[in-house]
Amino acid sequence: MFEELRAIQRDFGYLPADQLKALAGKIHVPVSQIHAVASFYPHFHLSPPPKVDVRVCADMSCHLRGGDQVRSALDSAFQGTDVKEVSIRDVSCLGRCDQAPAMMVNDTIYAHANGRDAVAMAQDVLAGKPLPENHHSQERMTVMSDPYKGSSEYAVVRRLVETRDFLGIIAALKAAGLRGMGGAGFPTSSKWEIVRNAPATPKYIVCNADESEPGTIKDRGIMENVPYLVIEGMITAGLVAGAHKGILYIRHEYEHPKEVLQQEIGRCYKQGLLGRRILGSDLAFDLEIFVSPGGYICGEESALLEAIEGKRAEPRNKPPFPVINGLWNQPTVLNNVETFCLATVILARGADWFKGQGKNGSVGVKFVGVSGDVVRPGIFEVPMGTTYGELINENAGGIPGGKQLLAFAPSGPSSGYLPASMTNLPLDWNAVAAAGSMVGSGAIVVCAEGRCMLDMALNATRFYRNESCGKCVPCRVGSQKLVEMLKGWTEGRTAKEDMQVMDELSLAMRQASICGLGQVVPVPIASVMKHFPGVVEDHIVRRSCPGGICFS
Amino acid sequence: MNPAAKLVELTIDGTAVSVPQGTTIFDAARTHGIPIPTLCHQQNENPVGVCRVCVVDIGQRVYAASCIRQAEQGMTVKTNTAPVVGVRHTLVELLMSDHPSPCARQQHSGDCELERLAEQAGIQQPRFARRTTPRGHDDSSLAIAVDHEACILCDRCIRGCDDIRNNWVLARRGKGYQAGIAFDNNLPMGGSSCVSCGECMVSCPTGALTNRSAVGTKLEGGALDIGALLGLPIFKNVSGTFLELNSHAIVERKFRAGEIICREGDFGATAFYLVDGKVEVYLSSPIAHVKTEGSAKGFLSKLRSMLQSREQDERTEESSRVSIPIDAPVDLPYDHPIAELGPGDLFGEMTCMSYYPRSATVRAKTDCTMLEMLRNVLDIMQRNKTFREQLDRTYRQRALDSHLRSVPVLASLTPDFIDHLRNRVELLRFTPGQVICTQGEPADSFYLVRLGFVKVAQSRPGGELVLAYLARGSYFAEMSLLTGTPHMATCSALDHVEVVRVPGEDFQVMLDRFPEIRRKLEEAAAEHMEQNRQRVTKVADVTVDQFLNQGLMEAQSLLILDLDRCTRCDQCVRACADAHDGVSRLIRDGLRFDRYLVATSCRQCRDPLCMVGCPVGSIRRRNTLEVIIEDWCIGCGQCANNCPYGNINMHPFPVELDDPAYPGRRMAGVKVKATSCDLCLDHAEPSCVYACPHDAAHRVNPLEFFGGLLKRQTVAKSGK
Repeated sequence: MFEELRAIQRDFGYLPADQLKALAGKIHVPVSQIHAVASFYPHFHLSPPPKVDVRVCADMSCHLRGGDQVRSALDSAFQGTDVKEVSIRDVSCLGRCDQAPAMMVNDTIYAHANGRDAVAMAQDVLAGKPLPENHHSQERMTVMSDPYKGSSEYAVVRRLVETRDFLGIIAALKAAGLRGMGGAGFPTSSKWEIVRNAPATPKYIVCNADESEPGTIKDRGIMENVPYLVIEGMITAGLVAGAHKGILYIRHEYEHPKEVLQQEIGRCYKQGLLGRRILGSDLAFDLEIFVSPGGYICGEESALLEAIEGKRAEPRNKPPFPVINGLWNQPTVLNNVETFCLATVILARGADWFKGQGKNGSVGVKFVGVSGDVVRPGIFEVPMGTTYGELINENAGGIPGGKQLLAFAPSGPSSGYLPASMTNLPLDWNAVAAAGSMVGSGAIVVCAEGRCMLDMALNATRFYRNESCGKCVPCRVGSQKLVEMLKGWTEGRTAKEDMQVMDELSLAMRQASICGLGQVVPVPIASVMKHFPGVVEDHIVRRSCPGGICFS
Repeated sequence: MNPAAKLVELTIDGTAVSVPQGTTIFDAARTHGIPIPTLCHQQNENPVGVCRVCVVDIGQRVYAASCIRQAEQGMTVKTNTAPVVGVRHTLVELLMSDHPSPCARQQHSGDCELERLAEQAGIQQPRFARRTTPRGHDDSSLAIAVDHEACILCDRCIRGCDDIRNNWVLARRGKGYQAGIAFDNNLPMGGSSCVSCGECMVSCPTGALTNRSAVGTKLEGGALDIGALLGLPIFKNVSGTFLELNSHAIVERKFRAGEIICREGDFGATAFYLVDGKVEVYLSSPIAHVKTEGSAKGFLSKLRSMLQSREQDERTEESSRVSIPIDAPVDLPYDHPIAELGPGDLFGEMTCMSYYPRSATVRAKTDCTMLEMLRNVLDIMQRNKTFREQLDRTYRQRALDSHLRSVPVLASLTPDFIDHLRNRVELLRFTPGQVICTQGEPADSFYLVRLGFVKVAQSRPGGELVLAYLARGSYFAEMSLLTGTPHMATCSALDHVEVVRVPGEDFQVMLDRFPEIRRKLEEAAAEHMEQNRQRVTKVADVTVDQFLNQGLMEAQSLLILDLDRCTRCDQCVRACADAHDGVSRLIRDGLRFDRYLVATSCRQCRDPLCMVGCPVGSIRRRNTLEVIIEDWCIGCGQCANNCPYGNINMHPFPVELDDPAYPGRRMAGVKVKATSCDLCLDHAEPSCVYACPHDAAHRVNPLEFFGGLLKRQTVAKSGK
């Protein structure tokens, strides 16, 4: 359905009602269902778009790096302009956190935006000039753990086709202790094993390349630099689990990684690594890329499956889990980009190699993104056990302008913020969990002194509110009410029962939401109230913002 | 329950229970006397677990929605711990903070499920901020009122519509806090493909979807058993609860042969569905128009009004229609206006849906049984597939020929071609305001109006210009098809409209096969085009809004009174009455412009409201834009009521009528006929103008007269 909708949007610039009706007749789907889907995804316009549609990223890293200034420059330049001509809106994280602030003009993304250029660009487009090229600034990254050192050899698949030692693969992953790198940390070997043992066919392998959480950029680096490791991981999973079809679900803002992957997939088909007879054997596996119609919620595994099925990306009630009732209700291995990549690394180099990689008692390697108030934001491949202090100060070059560290989020908004005093914490699943946070997807966002942590909590909560799918009450209504309450605190509107209400609301969202998104909405503010109680008190009691950011 | 199913044992609130595998926690608890509150779950629908009110503690990281979570062996379920009750309380409070309490349902029957839960939880004033962006109401459906404000997105209506009735009209729309429910592609409910089965409404836990009670009092007659109604194919798939709520809006009526069922010109609000027997439909009004006659000689000659048929008195642009459109599946022949209806026929649709006066008199020919209904029940029936198909079939078989041939330009169609069209045409329904074709878009069909009124309007720089209101028997979109140009105007449904769509290719075949029709259509089209061009030029010339708003610019000829000279002696009014059998068509009142009073006489409005609702379509415009009332006027007075300027009068005439007491016999009676000011066209000067002793009354051409005035004003203004 999405391809059909995209085709209509290409032709008309939006989705006219009569075209939706015609499509309903063509594909035999009720128009109500088509509208339900089209109105869910921000990528689709149901009314004619403005001539210039400028969207500025408002989320964590861009918020820290001047996104607001870009937005206000645009706002004042186009004040009073007809919204049919120029529309200026916020947009959720575009996945350019290391090149913040990012913005989008008529669906083309520009990194390192600034107010003056943004206004000039919008004026040019309004005057009928074409959009400038969006230079893709890809930094080549040497992936240390790449067993092939840059050449795609597919040794794991080649060996597997020969030996057919499928159980050996599962054993190796188990021995290496590989866990899901998308954030949840479920043992990868178990997933593959359950799907392998599931009697139902067909089975599917799905790769989640929809990283959309503010600060999360590591999968982009992996896909651009070692696409073959990801693809090999998927083929291996397919052969082990007995699936003949793989789908790589990528966010639509990742055009360049998509091209890189597409080329690699083409190469694989040519070399017989994909297709009906892999390397001449009777083993089969097809792989295709599915471009997401957009939205953070699509990264939630069951919502992602719903999206592939052409529905609204609303998370399913679990159980049943995707390993048994996954895509099209069939057994499905659903792993993150990094998980497939590391699976290949482990299988090529051996579990012992992987286990030897960590430091300070931790195991393995991890890709992380560091962004926000750092000198060299970027994607880094580091041994597990590296401390957050090392990541911030050494890998990312420390805080610019000689400022002190105030706080950092180990994994974007969902991990909450930790104070500067906790930088000795190692990148270790258990250690970070014990500190009340999580390694998650390794989206490290750094806040320097002078930032307002209540403002950062509001920013993170707003992101969740904007990205809530609306399926269940606690998240749909709760996230909105939480934003209103926090906004009130930053504007001097408080009530004495606020703390009580906050506790009750947090509990309800955490305990009753269907999916992880709703459950983590209260996390950012909870972390700020725990680690920066003075900041909250300053706002509520003294009506003052230590960072001089709120009450303006 | 499958007796062979494996049992699972679990503990709920300390009680050990055993249920078949696959049972949800909710059902396990319920069957063991432990009720768990819920909003989104009901027994006849598949659970979705979206309201989360039914969450329970099963000792895991997060709570589980008991409505959808299956009981597992060894599970320990806690349904009412303090935190669980607290979470439930918060969820209800969240919903209540955006709920318009008391909602329509709470007001009506006090059983809004959300408000009841809130009351039980002791929630009076939610502590969360209220929603500030309105979500809206939708009153477009005749049967169901939609209040999006009260919607809690429990998806019960959606499952009712899609899963239970398989209608697939309802779905969610939007995302997050902006999400809501939508009909088709977010259409108003009344304009959607909704079949008014009522399932969504009976599924809704709040006042978001409520029954709109029928307008009109409770109908008299035999109350109907809901079971019997549901047995009729025309009520197939309708929710029983929904019919029960509307039970007072449909009754069974029995008539003896010869009994009158309804009379032309009467006001009403019901339609009749003939279950058994036959009825006769006819017009009892004389088929003639009001003719004013007098001597052209002598200034004080008295004018006399009389009824004359078009054969006796042919007027300019006299209609040549051979049939009279009425509010029934058939047209009446002009020469002998009588027809017969039988079982399965429906009449009185326009009266019922849009409250127009009855267009004809209906008399039972045999003993007959009818269903008489108010508009929300008619709406249910009309949206029912079975009934629609039956109406469609009847129309194609019986009425299409006469309907097509009633249009003078199409009179020469041959039976074989009509047979060809029989299966090609499509009957389309439109709700008030719905656009049928849009100005500027390519034409692909030819349309014939079957029911209701179609508004033809052009969008112009000065605003919308209504070119016509098309009644039954009119056609449109022919010009664009003839010339291959886009639609020149937007045609939209003024009320509940049904049109016959003839596909463009069949229209072309018709033009090729019947050169006579092509020629006539082309002539008519050329004429229309010229009129439109003239009108548009007029509009373009006069740009002063005030002048336009007063509805004066279209007039060919206006009667004006110079207030500086007028002494309000009312000689003009008296003269008019003298000239027209004592009924004055002139009221010395009207719009003022500068020092002139524009006396009330037909001013050929920009938006001719008088033409809306004539049940027999006997009022139309001449090419000069003046109103002309056709011979078959039934004297219902609709046009006189509609004219905002009081320019149409009802003129009584003595006639012979059927004697209701003695079928077959005639009796003396009075019939009224509509008539409008004709400016005494037979005379050199209207009598009112002649009669004015102060030289204050004038008949003028508004453009010439006011145009100069306007120019002076504009110059004066810009000079300041």
